[in-house]
Amino acid sequence: MSEIVVDVWLYGGLSKYGRGAEQGSFANVEARLREGSTIGDLLAFLKIPSWERGITFIDGQLSAMPGLQPDMDHILSDGDRAAFFHLNSMWPFQYRHGAAMIRELAEAMQAGKDRGLHHSYGEHESNA
Amino acid sequence: MWLIRVNMNDLTSRVEPLPDAYKHLGGRGMTSTIVAKEVPPLCHPLGPNNKLVFAPGIVTGTPAPTSARVSAGAKSPLTGGIKESNGGSSWAADLADMQVRALVVEGQAKKNGKFRGLHLVWDAAAGQPKVEFFDASEHAGKDLFEAFPKIYAKFGDKISISGCGIAGEYGYGNAGIVYNDPAKRPTRYSGRGGLGSVMGSKGLKFIVLSREGSPGVPITDEALFDQGRKKMIDALRTHAVTKPKGALNTYGTAVLINILNEAGGLPTRNFSSGRFEGAAKTAGEAIFEGNKQRLGKELYNHACSPGCIIQCSNTWHNPDGTEAASCVEYESDWALGANCGIDSLDDIATMVKLCNGYGLDTIETGATIGVVMEAGVIPFGDSQGAINLIHEMGKGTPLGRILGGGTAFAGKAYGMTRVPAVKGQGMPAYEPRAVKGIGITYATSTMGADHTAGYTIAPEILGVSGKQDPLTPEGKAALSRGFQAATAFIDTSGHCLFIAFAVLDIASGLEGMVEECNGVLGTQWTTADIGRVGADVLQTERAFNEAAGLGKETDRIPEFMLTEPLPPHNQVFDVSDEALDSVYAEL
Ligand code: SF4
Repeated sequence: MSEIVVDVWLYGGLSKYGRGAEQGSFANVEARLREGSTIGDLLAFLKIPSWERGITFIDGQLSAMPGLQPDMDHILSDGDRAAFFHLNSMWPFQYRHGAAMIRELAEAMQAGKDRGLHHSYGEHESNA
Repeated sequence: MWLIRVNMNDLTSRVEPLPDAYKHLGGRGMTSTIVAKEVPPLCHPLGPNNKLVFAPGIVTGTPAPTSARVSAGAKSPLTGGIKESNGGSSWAADLADMQVRALVVEGQAKKNGKFRGLHLVWDAAAGQPKVEFFDASEHAGKDLFEAFPKIYAKFGDKISISGCGIAGEYGYGNAGIVYNDPAKRPTRYSGRGGLGSVMGSKGLKFIVLSREGSPGVPITDEALFDQGRKKMIDALRTHAVTKPKGALNTYGTAVLINILNEAGGLPTRNFSSGRFEGAAKTAGEAIFEGNKQRLGKELYNHACSPGCIIQCSNTWHNPDGTEAASCVEYESDWALGANCGIDSLDDIATMVKLCNGYGLDTIETGATIGVVMEAGVIPFGDSQGAINLIHEMGKGTPLGRILGGGTAFAGKAYGMTRVPAVKGQGMPAYEPRAVKGIGITYATSTMGADHTAGYTIAPEILGVSGKQDPLTPEGKAALSRGFQAATAFIDTSGHCLFIAFAVLDIASGLEGMVEECNGVLGTQWTTADIGRVGADVLQTERAFNEAAGLGKETDRIPEFMLTEPLPPHNQVFDVSDEALDSVYAEL
């Protein structure tokens, strides 16, 4: 079975999952996974509990926010860049309004209350 | 409540009771109303007919949390349009405590090399504030880090200071107005739009406030005010972004560096890419970790001004644990970092401190250096070269003066086409080709390219809830309109814009903000009035701009962004002119 390579960036406290590639405030890891692997598989490979990650990007496309993780089954491709942020990061709505999102997240936002027009989706969740 | 007029022509002042028509105005609502009413739109921004107006917000000076903010307003030398630039400092609260709702500086002192200072004191016998003039010429041409301690030595520890630096004396388009921070340093700014030069053009160097004995802000309905204040405090203390040890208190605004970089929206090397390979080394997380290593302990951020419970202002430290610069904001970090291809926090901090000392706007400075790096004046990544260029500005050399003119001016001087500016104001740290919503706000804001012009606030008060699809260009334009109006309200209220992060998600916080305002003013606003009050401010600003020659034709993103795809997403800015025009056409 063929393999894919994912360029993983872990920020802040998540850098501790960097399998020896920590550089203080971040870690940059090369992850080799089975073809067809998902974000869920990647998190399992890195041993990151999914609730510990917040804002997530796959190849520059937003795929998850704290409290909103529709990307677990998103299938990764060879050469993808995946970035996971700690829960103390933020991306206010006005600074991501119109930025690229994966289809699953765009759909989840559209289906949610206020079409996703919030800063956080966790504790103050009005989107559930 | 008072309106003070200072006439620099003859060095006189008048303390007038606040006119009834201005009773419900504060902050940006006040400055923009006075500028629109009293400044001829076609006047020269550095001439005697421009006026510089300061106004604390409605709740500034009260115990409302995170509200020691002041608006400075005038016709902008950078954009040629109306300008409001907001700053946080004890200076804001002191002005409010002296019951000064607006301070208007008019006319122009004779150009004889002299600079004046104003000293406002509370005249207990008369029961009103009093203005004294002093000779501030000795501080002309001096670094603000040198001047501030001397002002404190002259007037005592309990004062607060606003002023302009060397950049304002030279009349640069990128000169800001400085305020003291809690440690008496000259580091807080109404940075944007060249207002420091409006101050300097009047022959005015400093405005010193001695608030001792002043009565404080009268509150019409204490119970209502307290109720609102508690709701606001609860919202700020519980939201993940604004709570103690939350995102802003831990990492500061620079927490956005890694985020925008991953999103492909961090303008890099003069807006030629959306991703910078050195970003992580300059990010908020790196500042937190770097400080921890250099200090041997975790350092959380501090308040820029009294009464702030968010406390987002960071300090970067040298390897020996001494202070390098405070504060390294996201926009400064980006402008002098990724935008110049520079990945050293130590060098970025050096540049931030130089800008603070010379009285330069860090955003405009970094955007300008990015353009001339592309022009080949110095290579991208050359931090020593960039430091030298800031010194050129401080010395007022011919090259420094070209750079001091701002991004658009320097771009013209070097014949560049990739010039990231709208209405002459350099673009901040969000790439419109990657984040199209912010591009709409940059294009249409009355302020020129401004990242603080459109903050998101509860959908139900934007007038767009459920109707607009935020994914379509029309939907984005409608949202931008709502954001800009809501922002104008917050800038009027006197709260720091960062309360918006919490009140968007916690509805009671939004009610709290309106109740605080009603408590102070005795008004009966509801949250539904936020959009209306804000839209009034925008209409006033827009009318001034149109009369100044900044009509809808100037609501456009620079051409290169329409034609050059931006890596890594390889997108252009493709929002139609019709959608851009709808922002104000439908206000
Ligand atoms: S949140 Fe930050 S910028 Fe706003 S008032 Fe507080 S310290 Fe100042």
